[in-house]
Amino acid sequence: MRILRQIRPILSALRSHKTAVTLLMLEIALTMAVLGNLVFIVYGTMQRSHMATGVAESQIGWIQSIGVLGQDNPGTGAENIAVLRNAPGVLDAAYGSPPFVGKETNPIFPDAARSRPVAHAYVVQGSQHMSTTLGLRIVQGRDFNDGDLPDLMDVFMKKTDTPLPALMTQALAQRLYPDGKALERILYDGRYAYRVIGIIDHLRSEVTGRANDDDALLTEYRIGAQDLGGGYLIRSRPGQLPQALKAAAAALQKANPGHVENKVHTMAELRENYFKSDLAAGRMLVAIIAILLVVTALGVSGLASFWVQQRRRQIGMRRALGATRGDILNYFQAENFLIVSGGVLLGVFFAYALNLFLMHRFELAHLPAHYLLAGALALWLLGQLAVLGPALRAAAVPPAVATRSV
Amino acid sequence: MLAYYFDLALRSFRQHKTLAGLMMLAIALGIGTSVTMLAVLHNLSGNPMPGRSGLLFHPQVDPRPTDLSAASDEPPDDLTYIDAVNLYRMGAAPRRAVMSSNHLPTRADAPDSPLAMYTDRATTADFFAMFGVPFLYGSAWSAQDDANQARVVVLSRAMNQKLFGGENSVGRNLVIATKTFRVVGVIDEWNPQPRFYDINSGAFEQSEQMYLPFFTWLDLPQDYGYGPVNCWGNDPHAGEHNPKTPQCTWAQFWVELDTPAQVAGYRAALEQYSAQQRQLGRFQRAPNARLRGLIDWLDYKHVIPVTVRMQTWIAFGVLLICMVNTVGLMVAKFLRKSGEIGVRRALGASRRAVFVQCLVEAGVVGVAGGLLGLPLAWLGLWMVRQQPVSFAASAHFDPSMLGIALGLAVLSALLAGVWPALRASRVAPALQVKSL
Repeated sequence: MRILRQIRPILSALRSHKTAVTLLMLEIALTMAVLGNLVFIVYGTMQRSHMATGVAESQIGWIQSIGVLGQDNPGTGAENIAVLRNAPGVLDAAYGSPPFVGKETNPIFPDAARSRPVAHAYVVQGSQHMSTTLGLRIVQGRDFNDGDLPDLMDVFMKKTDTPLPALMTQALAQRLYPDGKALERILYDGRYAYRVIGIIDHLRSEVTGRANDDDALLTEYRIGAQDLGGGYLIRSRPGQLPQALKAAAAALQKANPGHVENKVHTMAELRENYFKSDLAAGRMLVAIIAILLVVTALGVSGLASFWVQQRRRQIGMRRALGATRGDILNYFQAENFLIVSGGVLLGVFFAYALNLFLMHRFELAHLPAHYLLAGALALWLLGQLAVLGPALRAAAVPPAVATRSV
Repeated sequence: MLAYYFDLALRSFRQHKTLAGLMMLAIALGIGTSVTMLAVLHNLSGNPMPGRSGLLFHPQVDPRPTDLSAASDEPPDDLTYIDAVNLYRMGAAPRRAVMSSNHLPTRADAPDSPLAMYTDRATTADFFAMFGVPFLYGSAWSAQDDANQARVVVLSRAMNQKLFGGENSVGRNLVIATKTFRVVGVIDEWNPQPRFYDINSGAFEQSEQMYLPFFTWLDLPQDYGYGPVNCWGNDPHAGEHNPKTPQCTWAQFWVELDTPAQVAGYRAALEQYSAQQRQLGRFQRAPNARLRGLIDWLDYKHVIPVTVRMQTWIAFGVLLICMVNTVGLMVAKFLRKSGEIGVRRALGASRRAVFVQCLVEAGVVGVAGGLLGLPLAWLGLWMVRQQPVSFAASAHFDPSMLGIALGLAVLSALLAGVWPALRASRVAPALQVKSL
């Protein structure tokens, strides 16, 4: 009630400073618009950089062992997997590449005519043990059997309509078969046909933020006596990845003196590399957010201290008429709260307008309302902090000021 | 009179240190932010080939079928194998270069040299002269070497340093993809940014470690990719192991045309080639060729990264907020001077004179803010350079940005000052003088 009684005189005082008040509200509204959208972008990037891929990331390492055409090399694909599995600390190994490495979506077709794609999904291929090395979680159907797998030489660079067994992510299954009956269905990409034998919970080949990140098919083939260069995956015992990956890479190079071991990375390194430019851009935006908050705080406290100086005499009179220091402090705090609230209300419109612009130009998603609430809270807090100094100075004005120079 | 106004402005600065300081800081922060992004933008949109950009052209033809759904009308950026060979043989330009890139297992021809993957650009002889590549040792290979599929190689300075300790390696041998190549040249530092001639994997990638004759490279025993390969139809991976797949484009092609007549002639030749290929049944579409100059090509490809464009918009948003902030503070400052202004008016100064005086004061704030903003922009660019992204390394403070920063600072301060100055000049002298 006390507060309410205070508001009326504040409003009438503000009416005589329309210009400055409008400008301050405008500044707060603009700050809120930019702040809300920037925090949304930064938070989205951070969230994305922690999004799980669905594979046992902390245990997976990748070795790119490039075969040199025309160079003799004793190792074969099947032996390489055995060599890797025998390395100390290694639980499982396969030929293939993990999420974040050279992944592109393929058009997926419902029939062999392959004329009209029904989805664009990541088709992940690997050797025997691929699904167990990645540590995928099967929620329906079954994993691959040894008897299932086609021989690499029967499928490599060939187009075939004989269905290959495949695991499908839940997300893709729901997209393609809303009736929930994905098992045993046949579908096609540009080159192969696939039969769904099991559903896995997640397999994100990339984390772009697009709706089809988790749309994937995984298929395995049997590798045997061929000299096979390319990516090999290992899965280590928990907590032993660095040593296990090092040992595995050394063992693989020893078994393949004709290969060039070009890259050896843990999944954590691949993830860091994948997100590094996004996160760097995020840090730039955080710097901009900081600048914005500083500028707005400067504006608020600058105008407030101007008003305090201008009203010294009136403050003195109020004090002389019995107002306490607390009353004066409250007055300026309440005034700031009212101005910031006006700015915040206007800021909601500005924020949505800016969001529309960014959506249109930079494919940003729709700004959720709770970011605006957070922005409003931040600005209220900032305003109170910025006004505190000038308000304390106002509260310190002695009542005697009222008697001077009247 | 202006000198007097400057003096007044400085006095008022001293008198109201806090307000003036706050305004200066607001302008400085806005300028620091926006000039940082302007400098980045300026670096990224620079001309990678000053002096030669007007002579370099990027031909495109359209071999795609007519019934491609959702395909743009623009022909593919790169050429298919067949078009690359045909256009290379067509002549019609004083110089031309066909190219692509990948990485190849390579070692020096010595028993203890370890095999490692090195990036290479496969191209034809004119590449070096067309793009003004400086040589440290030796020279480019000849057109004859291209025709003979000679096994010769040109090294970058860094690779020569790594394999041969930086000495003149011309005449030494390398084993590339199991075949022996002779070094014919070593180039000096050369890394045009944007890397206009091949922007498939990003416009700000580094130049490659070595250069091989294109047709020699194609015939090597290799399957290490052929650069980013784009295929139409339902199998995007059709060209993965076979660069000659007819529906896949991957080869970049550039020509040098020295006169407008040559440009017109080449344009006609592209049309004619397209028509002829259509007659042969290879092309389905009506001739749909392009011949963009280097700068047009970079514009067309929007080489500035999206994050940079967005950050630039945001930085100018910050500047706008700083300006609104300054307007507010200036209104306050001029209002406080109402008495002073009233006296000036009463003593005969016109509204115009008061207005100019206030604007001068705003301009002084701008200059001060700009001077303070420069080190902030320098700091901002240092931050940009710390980013682990390919374009960041080239972010530096160009002397031309100095002028832009100060100009922008003064302009924004003046713009922010116009309205407060106008208000100040409307002060009624009688009212003010009365309350003195």
